[in-house]
Amino acid sequence: MSDATLRPPLVTGDKSIADVTRDICAPMERRPTAMWWSAFALAFTALVVGIAAVWYQIATGIGTWGLNKTVGWAFDITNFVFWVGIGHAGTLISAVLFLFRQKWRTAVNRSAEAMTLFAVMCAGIFPLIHMGRPWLAYWMMPYPNTRGPLWVNFKSPLLWDVFAISTYLLISAVFWYVGLIPDLATIRDRAASGWKKRITSFLALGWNGSARTWLRYETVYLLLAGLATPLVFSVHTIVSMDFATSVIPGWHTTIFPPYFVAGAIFSGLAMVLTLMIIARKVMNLENYITLTHIERMCKLMLSMGCIVGLAYGTEFFTAAYSGNGYEQFVFKNRALGPFAWAYWTMVSCNVLIPQLLWFRKLRTTLPVVFVIVVFVNVGMWFERFVIIVTSLHRDFLPSSWADYAPTTIEVATFIGSFGLFFTCFLIFCRLAPVIAIAEVKGAAHLKKQSAHDTNTKEAAA
Amino acid sequence: MNRNVTPTHWRSLAERDGAADSQHAEPHGRNVAGVSRRQFLEAAGFTLSLVAVSGCGRAPTITALPFAVQPEGVVPGRMQQYASICSGCTASCGLLVGVRDGRPLKMEGMPEHPLSRGGLCAVGQALPLGLYDSQRFTQPLADGQAAAWDDVDRQIQKRVGELADNGGAVRFVTPTVSSPTLRAMIGKFLEPFENGRHVTFDPVSSSAILDAHEQTHGRRVLPHYRLENAHVIVSCGADFLGTWIAPVEFTAAWRTRRVPSEENPRMSYHVQLEGRLSLTGSNADRRYRVSPAEYGNVLGHLATSIASRAGQSPPPGTPGSLPIPESDLADLADRLWKARGESVVLCDSQDVAVQLLVNYINHTLGNYGTTLDLQRPSLQRQGSDAEVLALLDELRAGEVSALFVAGTDLTHNLFDRAALAEAIGQVPLVVSFAERQDDFAPLAHFVCPDHHPLESWTDAEPVRGLFSLSQPTLRPLGDTRSILESLGRWSGHPDTAYGLLQSTWKGTIQPQVAPESSFVDFWDRAVHDGFVEAAAEEIATPEFKTDDVKLVDFEPADDFTLVLYSKVGMTDSRHAHNPWLQELPDPVTKVTWDNYVCVSPTTATELGVSDGDVVRVEAETGFQVELPVLVQPGQHDRVLAMALGYGVPGTDRFANIGPQWFEARPTVAPGQPVGRNVAGFITAANNQLQYVRKGIRVASTGRHHPLASTQEHHSLRVPASVAPQGAEVRDVVQDTTLAAFERDPRAGAPAVHHHSETQLWPEDHPPTTHAWGMVIDLNKCTGCSACLIACQAENNVPVVGKDEVRRQREMHWIRLDRYYSGDDDDLSVAHQPMMCQHCGNAPCETVCPVLATVHSDEGLNEQAYNRCVGTRYCANNCPYKVRRFNWFKYERHDVLQNLILNPDVTVRTRGVMEKCSMCVQRIEEGKIAAAQRGEPVVDGDIKTACQQSCPAQAIVFGDLNDASSAVHVARGGPRTYRVLDEMNFRTSVSYQRVVRNRDGVEQGGDKHV
Repeated sequence: MSDATLRPPLVTGDKSIADVTRDICAPMERRPTAMWWSAFALAFTALVVGIAAVWYQIATGIGTWGLNKTVGWAFDITNFVFWVGIGHAGTLISAVLFLFRQKWRTAVNRSAEAMTLFAVMCAGIFPLIHMGRPWLAYWMMPYPNTRGPLWVNFKSPLLWDVFAISTYLLISAVFWYVGLIPDLATIRDRAASGWKKRITSFLALGWNGSARTWLRYETVYLLLAGLATPLVFSVHTIVSMDFATSVIPGWHTTIFPPYFVAGAIFSGLAMVLTLMIIARKVMNLENYITLTHIERMCKLMLSMGCIVGLAYGTEFFTAAYSGNGYEQFVFKNRALGPFAWAYWTMVSCNVLIPQLLWFRKLRTTLPVVFVIVVFVNVGMWFERFVIIVTSLHRDFLPSSWADYAPTTIEVATFIGSFGLFFTCFLIFCRLAPVIAIAEVKGAAHLKKQSAHDTNTKEAAA
Repeated sequence: MNRNVTPTHWRSLAERDGAADSQHAEPHGRNVAGVSRRQFLEAAGFTLSLVAVSGCGRAPTITALPFAVQPEGVVPGRMQQYASICSGCTASCGLLVGVRDGRPLKMEGMPEHPLSRGGLCAVGQALPLGLYDSQRFTQPLADGQAAAWDDVDRQIQKRVGELADNGGAVRFVTPTVSSPTLRAMIGKFLEPFENGRHVTFDPVSSSAILDAHEQTHGRRVLPHYRLENAHVIVSCGADFLGTWIAPVEFTAAWRTRRVPSEENPRMSYHVQLEGRLSLTGSNADRRYRVSPAEYGNVLGHLATSIASRAGQSPPPGTPGSLPIPESDLADLADRLWKARGESVVLCDSQDVAVQLLVNYINHTLGNYGTTLDLQRPSLQRQGSDAEVLALLDELRAGEVSALFVAGTDLTHNLFDRAALAEAIGQVPLVVSFAERQDDFAPLAHFVCPDHHPLESWTDAEPVRGLFSLSQPTLRPLGDTRSILESLGRWSGHPDTAYGLLQSTWKGTIQPQVAPESSFVDFWDRAVHDGFVEAAAEEIATPEFKTDDVKLVDFEPADDFTLVLYSKVGMTDSRHAHNPWLQELPDPVTKVTWDNYVCVSPTTATELGVSDGDVVRVEAETGFQVELPVLVQPGQHDRVLAMALGYGVPGTDRFANIGPQWFEARPTVAPGQPVGRNVAGFITAANNQLQYVRKGIRVASTGRHHPLASTQEHHSLRVPASVAPQGAEVRDVVQDTTLAAFERDPRAGAPAVHHHSETQLWPEDHPPTTHAWGMVIDLNKCTGCSACLIACQAENNVPVVGKDEVRRQREMHWIRLDRYYSGDDDDLSVAHQPMMCQHCGNAPCETVCPVLATVHSDEGLNEQAYNRCVGTRYCANNCPYKVRRFNWFKYERHDVLQNLILNPDVTVRTRGVMEKCSMCVQRIEEGKIAAAQRGEPVVDGDIKTACQQSCPAQAIVFGDLNDASSAVHVARGGPRTYRVLDEMNFRTSVSYQRVVRNRDGVEQGGDKHV
């Protein structure tokens, strides 16, 4: 720990400061590649499918989903919690790891923050469209109105959700934007005059790179990091209360807040890794997002996976120890009932498969890591599905037990949320540096001059 | 009109209605006394803008004429009730038609009626929906073309005149006619013909009972069963609580002996022997699976045992082998013998030999005169199958010159339809009185549509000496005509139905009932009360003739025996066009929108089929039907059961009922009716129509036709693979045995009682004035589902169609939960009406983000539809799963049926949650009425819709704060419990434990094996 030089370098390839700027800005400055276009076409198609599905559902009714009088939530809230969870890694990496002075975060924090933003956007859509009358969604806001004493219900966790998610979206957006300011200035400086220059000049807020600017900037960033840190824990805690404060066995459990936070970070890291592994390949950023970064992310993920596994076990223990027949039934039913396939998918993906990450060899083999993180993404989606659907479909009175199967519209909406996420992310890759240039420069040991410059000088001599 | 209590001036209806009641002085918390300057300006501005807005467009010209003379007692917008008769079946229960602004909306039971005693079944409740049916005929048809009444009359009269002259055979077919006037008119109409006959054809006939009585008592009568006098009831297949003869009357009588109390822990003993599981069987204390082919054997052995106890020699002959254990039979005979004069044996067999045994047993037990009344026999089933079969022969031989059919669908309800239709085609004059296009009407030369019963005057005599009157409640919607008028015109007595009715009542009924009073007084009283009773006439009890009673060996069949039955809610084909009844879950199977083949679980395994697999059922004659299978626990392994009354022409109209979207499946395939007609399996034997048929083959077709059931899990026992130890059975329905109850009235309560009255927090809204609550006696509740339709009619609950039911999205506010326990040989069934429990600590209320579901200060859990945004969190968090979500905008399939909507209840839009409101509109109405009288609300004044019509009177509703109220007393009873009490929801609805009249004392869930 004491000697940083013993650690593997954060930027490889013997780069100078100018190289960093050039390499990271390169993808934005050249025309989009065929691969970008094909990825964008795919994502945008998914988005259009999703929009069509949501339009149809709002025009026709929630009945176009597979829900019934017993299972009132399924894909909708599963997707919501799934996307909120994914959003968590961004704040964790940018805020918590910043406070802990983890310099390796610089390679991934920008894209993680962007991911957070888009994931929370995706998440926010679901509570909105899951309403029977989404056009009245603004009734969830406590604002002075002319409807007499009508006010929102502050006892309802759904209301807490409204506050938690909107706060989170706001803070994430501000944090992301503030972090972008020095890089926006860089783009501004590199841009020829034109609309790009004008826009970046405006957004860079007159950044001049002076020591005073840097001082102010660092202070604001630190404060924002401090402000964002509690959100990492609060948002998913509140999301978990949607379930924990209910009376439904399988939902009504005190373990949910820490369990959900760990799960959220777990799924977020998996998604960051998924994106990073693709991005470093597609955008030639192997020297900036190195195997070291990936390995560290893997370690973090492994630890979260173990916490999640512990939570799964604890739930069963709590149920067994409670002496409550309904509670015991729900968990037995989860593991052995009609949705056992979903439960065991979840356990395999979230607990068993990530155990492979104990091996350094596997942690540093990219294809293996990629496959594992995809499994974790799948598993974490199923975790939410299992919690929501298996608890609801068989509760107290056996007469109202019911089944659940999604409709085309639900699946299309889910696909659409991925479409929205990737469309936004791909546009982001074209418009903003995917790695925080200024931060990488500060964190890595770089040469003063680039290899390119030295070579030119030598040639001249 | 209560002029003296109405203030001279009032500013709002609330003020006028509530001025006298201090509790109600300010019903909505708004002080109207002082008008501030600001309020004045608001009001002035609003008025001004209204004037401006209304001046913007040309208002349509509306002529609203007020009553020139306000009918006495009629207040616009207020429900007015008229005494009438239910026309749903031939039982002719008494009912009250709720009419509001000239529209009949709500059928309620008539509490004073001596037979139905305030009860009304699902079919009766659903009647007005049939009135507002756009497919009813609106004018007469001649050869399928719309015609004018004058033309039709002229032509029919001409042909009828010819027939009178040339002596052709005239046959008038009706089901049992309970109307004395109609009986008289048919008689008058047939008078001029040499060969005119009235044939009574009951779609589901009980003719063998009448014929058996002709042999034993010398009179062809149906005894009036007085189950209120019966301490031991043995029923062989008779579904007397569901569909047999007069189920509401029988339920009302049966329940009087099903209430064991601490003081008097006695209840009747009810044994059911049956092949399929009927609603009655599901309520029996002991149920045996016996194939209907073997009823005669059981009754033969029973007759022998009873005869030996009576010291008589048994009837000659030897019965076949006994399908139930001999010790059980001996026990049964003992119980019957002990309760002689206080017992009854019922049987729905259409075999006269079997019915003779029933009569023999009842006679030997001395039940005639107590539980079977021949002095004042029942007239509810008069069908004579011998006459029907003779008619069929005549038709086939081409001997009939004119055929008139009223009140039934002749071709649909009989076997051999094609040949019958062809034979009818040869008849020179065929006249139908059908309400709408049915199977028979297209064969008729003339269709002379009768009024809907709610549009016409008629009368009934369900039991000798009990005369009821039915009055029209609205002007006929179409150019239809009462059958009385039609017959009057054709037989040369043109008069209105009213006139014809009055002349019968003046001529024959008044002399029997009230000879000394003036006819006007008598008539007015009869119209007001709905019924009059004549003094019992003395008829000498005929000698019991045992000559024909023989013990016969009824050989059980090796292959399958088919039972044709009628479904609760779909008694016969007449109600097939009623979407409420089509969507009514069958009380036993819980399936909607279909008929199906019930098979036992063992047989299903043998055949390799499960629910919804289509099988081909074939009779020896080759007649076959393909229907989906329903696996029915408790059914005899060699018995198949299918419901009649399906496959009705025109029910393909329901193809598009319910929400239409791209994954929606139609309720019925285009062009296909709902279900399949299985009347082709009916046979004729020994001059009786037989609904039981031996020699049936069944084979799987490999196809699948999903059934829409409202319940997927049928036991309180959780599946073994996921059952935690010690919590295998849920005590949602608690039951005990009479033996245990006698020892401890609280027997059956769960061993561990978790609940505590201690509250952590003071109550948010303590119900200080009223605390509305309900107690449902599960020992009385038969599961008949009348409450479900009552609620649907009262609360504008939409019909959603088969696909939505299949997706578990039916909208009924009351769910009749039905749980099986025990094995197929000794199956116990529990019915539990489950609706919003109006929890004191309501889980739904805390989770709604917009406060759309809140607690009232009268203990109600209220739903504000306008505020609901539809997050469905409340439904998820409801432990009873009784909330219903409007997944779509449920438009009425038939726009005319919008007339049935109750204006007191909001029609809910898409995307909002709804649920039982405990009929809050009725509560408010009752409070306002009490306030107008200047009195506090009296217990019993306010009745919820479900409670009002419950034939078993299993529901008690009232104010829990009123220590003298019935509900308060019931709540404190030893059998009372609350579902999920350990969760401390503090529900306002309680249940009373089931007590089965059994000897064992085993408790709780242990016996749910």
